[in-house]
Amino acid sequence: MGSATAPTSPNALCFSDELPSTGLPCHVEISANGLTVRFDEGHGLGELDLPFRVLSVSAGGLNHDQLVVRWGSAPSAQTVYLKDSSLIRAFRSSAPPELVNALDATAATVRRTRSRNRTAWGIAAATIGALMMGIWFSMDLLVGWAVDRIPLNWERRIGESAFQDFLIQHPAVKEGPAVVAVQEITERLIAHIPVNPYTFEIAVVESEVVNAFALPGGYVVVFTALLKEAENAEEVAGVLSHELNHVLERHALQRIVKQLGLVTVVGIIVGDQQGLARLMRQIGVELLSLKFGRSQETEADLTGLQLLHRSRIDPSGMVTFFQRLTKNERGGVEWLSTHPMSAARAQRLEAEISRLPRTAAEPFTFKWNTVQDALRPVAVKG
Amino acid sequence: MKHEILYPGAFPMVRVELIAGETIKAESGAMVASSPTIDIESKMEGGFLGALSRKLLTGEKFFFQTLRASRGAGEVLLAPTVPGEIVVMELDGLNEYMVQKDGFLAGSESIKIESQMQSLSRGLLGGEGFFILKISGKGSLIVNSFGAIHKIELKPDQEYIVDNSHLVAWSGTTSYHIERAASGWVASFTSGEGFVCRFRGPGVVYIQSRNPGSFGAWVRQFIPVSE
Repeated sequence: MGSATAPTSPNALCFSDELPSTGLPCHVEISANGLTVRFDEGHGLGELDLPFRVLSVSAGGLNHDQLVVRWGSAPSAQTVYLKDSSLIRAFRSSAPPELVNALDATAATVRRTRSRNRTAWGIAAATIGALMMGIWFSMDLLVGWAVDRIPLNWERRIGESAFQDFLIQHPAVKEGPAVVAVQEITERLIAHIPVNPYTFEIAVVESEVVNAFALPGGYVVVFTALLKEAENAEEVAGVLSHELNHVLERHALQRIVKQLGLVTVVGIIVGDQQGLARLMRQIGVELLSLKFGRSQETEADLTGLQLLHRSRIDPSGMVTFFQRLTKNERGGVEWLSTHPMSAARAQRLEAEISRLPRTAAEPFTFKWNTVQDALRPVAVKG
Repeated sequence: MKHEILYPGAFPMVRVELIAGETIKAESGAMVASSPTIDIESKMEGGFLGALSRKLLTGEKFFFQTLRASRGAGEVLLAPTVPGEIVVMELDGLNEYMVQKDGFLAGSESIKIESQMQSLSRGLLGGEGFFILKISGKGSLIVNSFGAIHKIELKPDQEYIVDNSHLVAWSGTTSYHIERAASGWVASFTSGEGFVCRFRGPGVVYIQSRNPGSFGAWVRQFIPVSE
C-alpha cells in the first residue's frame, strides 16, 4: 500500500556503520506518527517505520544545510541525511514540539555560523579597504616624510647626473649677453631666498624649443627659444622664479618617491639608503621628462610670486608670459605642455599679485633688446 | 557514457564511448584524441556570469569543452595536465561532491557544476582557495589528482585528518574544519604541516598522494634564475 505513494526515485541517503560510506539511497516518507524509510529491493533491508519519539535531529554536511535524523544507539545507530527542502518542511510540520524545538535550535546555530562567516568576510573586506584608503590618503604625508629624510648631497648627486647627461646632448651657451642676463636675474632671485641650502647652477641651452626646467639639487636649464619668446626680463624672471621654487620645495624628489612607491618610502625611513643610490641615479635620467603635479605647480607659482616680489622684480611678467605663450601657441612650446595656463591659474596668480604690497621695481642692469639681438641668428652676408 | 581508464598509474588516459547524440563536459584542453564523429564546442557552463565567476574565483577555465557525438557514435580520449591518477565516480542525484579547483576532468552532460564560496578560515587556510567546485546531479564524474588517488571512507561521526593541500574531492555529507597540525603555532609550522583539515563522516574523501605546491617549490630550486 505504501508503494503506491512512494516517490519514484530515492530522496535521502542512509548511513550506518554497516552501510557504504557514500550512503545508501533510500525513500523517506513523513507521516503524522513518524518517518518511513524504505530501501530499494535487493538490499534486503526492507522498510523501517520510525516513530518520532525514537528520533533525534541535527544539522550536517559541509555547509550544515542537511537535516540529519538519527535513531538507534551506538554500534547500530543509523542516520538519514535529508536535503530536499519540501521534505524538511514536512518533517517540521508533523514532528512533536520537542523535536521541532531541537530542529529550530539547530537551525539557529547554523544561521549564527553563517552570519559569523559573513561578518568575518565583511570585516576582512573592510580591513583591506580601509588599509588601501589609508595608504592612498596618507601617501602625501608619507612621501613628505620620506623626502625630508633624503640628505641634500644625495639630491645634488641625482640632479647633477641628470644635468650632466643633458648637457652632453645639448651643449650650454658659455658666454654672451643672454648668459649674463640670465645670471643676473638668477642672482637677484637667489639673493632674496630666505633660507637657501642650495647652490644653484643655471645653464642656457641653444634650442628651438620654448622650455625651462629645474632638476633636484638646484640645477636649472633655460632654452634660448624661451628667451627669444619673452618680451622683457621680468617674464624670464617669472619663469625662473617658478622653477627655482620647484627646487626649493623639493618637488622633483617628491615625484620620484611617489613613483617609486611605498616600498621605497619605507626603505628610506628605515635607512636602506645605500641600495637606493643606484636606483636613484637611473631615475635621475628619467627626471628630464618629469612633470610636476597640479598642487606642486600652484605651490611653485605662489612661492615664485613672493620671491619675485622680494627681489623687487615686477611679478606680472609671470602671468603675461604664460598668457602670451598660450595665445600664440603653435607647437614646439614644451613648457606649456607641462605648465598649462588655465584661466583659473591666471586668475589665481593675478589675485595673488594684487594682494602683494606695491613696491617700486628695481630695473636690471642689462637691456633686454640687446639680449634678444644677440640671440637672433647672424645674417649671413651674401 | 561508457568509460575505461587506460594506463592506470601516473600517466593515465580515459576513454569515453559516446552513443550518437550523447555529450560530455570536459575541462578545456583535456581532449587528447577523438573519433571524427565527435564535435568539440566550448561552452560557458552556468552562463556568462557563472563562467566568469568560476574563472575569477576558482581559477578554473572559463570555458568547458563540450564533446558531442553529433555525427554518430564515437570515442574520446581525455587526459589531465599533471601526472596522476584518474577516478570515475557515479553520482546518484543524492550525493554531491566538492572538488578542488584543479580536480575536475570531465563529466556527463547531466551533472551540474557550480562554484561555491568557502568560509574565510577554510578559504585562507584550507589550501584549495576560497572557491571550490560543487558537483551534483546524476551521472559520471571524472576527477584527476596529482599523484595517486586514495579514497578514505568515513562512517558516521568518524574523523580523519588530511593535510590541506592533498585534498581532491569530498562528499557533501562530510564536514570539515581547519586546525593547526600540532598543538602550538611554532610546532605546527616546524612540523611542515601547518594547517590540516579535520573531516567528519559520513562520506568519502579522495586525497592525492602528492602535494602540488610542495612539488612546485621543489622544482623551483632547479630552475636557473634569469637575469
